[in-house]
Amino acid sequence: MSTHNETTILTSNRIHEPLTLGKWFKNVWTAVSTVTKGMAITFRYVYGVKPVTIEYPEVREELPANSRSRLFNDVENCISCYQCATACPVDCIYITATRRDKEAPAIKTKDGTPIRLDLKQYTIDTALCCYCGLCTTVCPTECLTHTTDYEFAQYTLSSMKYDYLADDIKVWRDRIVKD
Amino acid sequence: MDQYNEEQEKLHTDLLTLNMGPQHPATHGVLRVEIKTDSEVVAQAIPHLGYLHRCMEKHCEDVDYRGVIPYTDRLDYLASMSMEWGYSLAVEKMLGTEVPARAEYIRVIIAELQRIASHLMYFGTYAIDLGAFTPFLYAFQDREEILRLFEEISGARLLYNYVWIGGVWNDLNDEQLRRIGKFCDKMEENMKKYHALVGMNKIFRDRTANVGIISKELAYEYGATGPVLRGSGVEWDLRKNRPYGYYDKFDFDIVTGKGEMGQVGDCWDRYYVRVFEINESIKILRQALDGIEAGPIMGKVPKIIKVPEGEIYLRTECPRGELGYHLISDGGKKPYRLKVKSSCFTHTSMLPDLAPGQLIADFVATIGSIDIVLGEVDR
Repeated sequence: MSTHNETTILTSNRIHEPLTLGKWFKNVWTAVSTVTKGMAITFRYVYGVKPVTIEYPEVREELPANSRSRLFNDVENCISCYQCATACPVDCIYITATRRDKEAPAIKTKDGTPIRLDLKQYTIDTALCCYCGLCTTVCPTECLTHTTDYEFAQYTLSSMKYDYLADDIKVWRDRIVKD
Repeated sequence: MDQYNEEQEKLHTDLLTLNMGPQHPATHGVLRVEIKTDSEVVAQAIPHLGYLHRCMEKHCEDVDYRGVIPYTDRLDYLASMSMEWGYSLAVEKMLGTEVPARAEYIRVIIAELQRIASHLMYFGTYAIDLGAFTPFLYAFQDREEILRLFEEISGARLLYNYVWIGGVWNDLNDEQLRRIGKFCDKMEENMKKYHALVGMNKIFRDRTANVGIISKELAYEYGATGPVLRGSGVEWDLRKNRPYGYYDKFDFDIVTGKGEMGQVGDCWDRYYVRVFEINESIKILRQALDGIEAGPIMGKVPKIIKVPEGEIYLRTECPRGELGYHLISDGGKKPYRLKVKSSCFTHTSMLPDLAPGQLIADFVATIGSIDIVLGEVDR
């Protein structure tokens, strides 16, 4: 654009109309009247309007029932069908399952589906999860659900990996899952 | 005076390079504009893109047709519903799926609510760009109601994954429909107030009138769409000119800029178009609430979607302009190619033509008025 010795003096291209006395007074009048009108609207909000902000740590908002937040898998009802892992667009669900022994007693899920595979690992990397809800809609036994729990910040990345077979998951299971 | 000019010619002057962004609040995201300025006047502006590039188009080639929808959400994250609708329409056209009437009505309702929410966001942040903070709070107060409704029906506040191929995910119940009706009445009243508060304000008018003028020719040249094109006085709205969904059943007007405060196509005209489009959306919403009928919300879609071989280009009218999906299928479970044509990208490429000769403060007003979302620009 500019070479070294070139002198550039740019001026704004805004259109400035010549100011007459009448225009000056008209300008002042529109400025005062429109600002007053605006202030009148704003002042209506001083009294008689309820505050809409929520003071978060003291007041916690209750999310709607089908809000998509922290995932929870009720492993006792899981039949290891891999459908959630297939549907996941970011591949953040890791499942390991082995064939169940024939001698072992037959078990069923809550809705009566026989469990033919032993679930060895069910891990969701919630740091990768995009909370789209596609995994919960394909779940045939409805054991994988979104809960309404939204406070699950962690210090480390690895603690965002939830192993749903571990014992510590059961601690918050009772707190957040409503049957 | 001659002496002054002589003195100045001897002085070595140069243009100052200034980086605006990527974290500048006025660029609405991560846009970096490299500006060459002479004191306060912009000589040249070069937008640099790519700070929010997420390889969306490539990702889509690796997920099945249902899994693409969460990715389309993240294009224009302020108007996710409209983004999903465009994609779903493209796949439905290729599959030949019939969408039930109730689902079509719900799609119109949520898309118009989304348009209102998106324009309210523009209204609030544009006022902030120009130094007024109060309108931002008013706009967010109303937007919150829409987001709350979306959260109830879809489960999320921004990235909904609600419009599915063949229909919509959840149904709206009567209480929610009544709430939308009430919201329409409230919004109509509020928009009058907001327009008196911001649009008619003398300071706002002086900041926006005759600033960032996009003439009809320039808009055609770059292929501008949506409110930017309509702000330049062109009557073009895909909902009216090339109706998709159930839009041909509704009666509404196309708002165009008339140059009330200055020349046609200035920032004030684009503001005017967006604010009065909210009123048109309310008109559509009322007709949709009257027309909605009971019935299923999901059409017949196979469990594993396999789109027949072929390609389609489909465009829809989103709050920020036309969004086009070019979908190519090779008959498999995953899209062979999905190209997204974004309106924000074309609008961003107009900046170098608009900037020269503007004051820096006016340049901020210009960026705000074309209302870009960087998620859609970079994809």
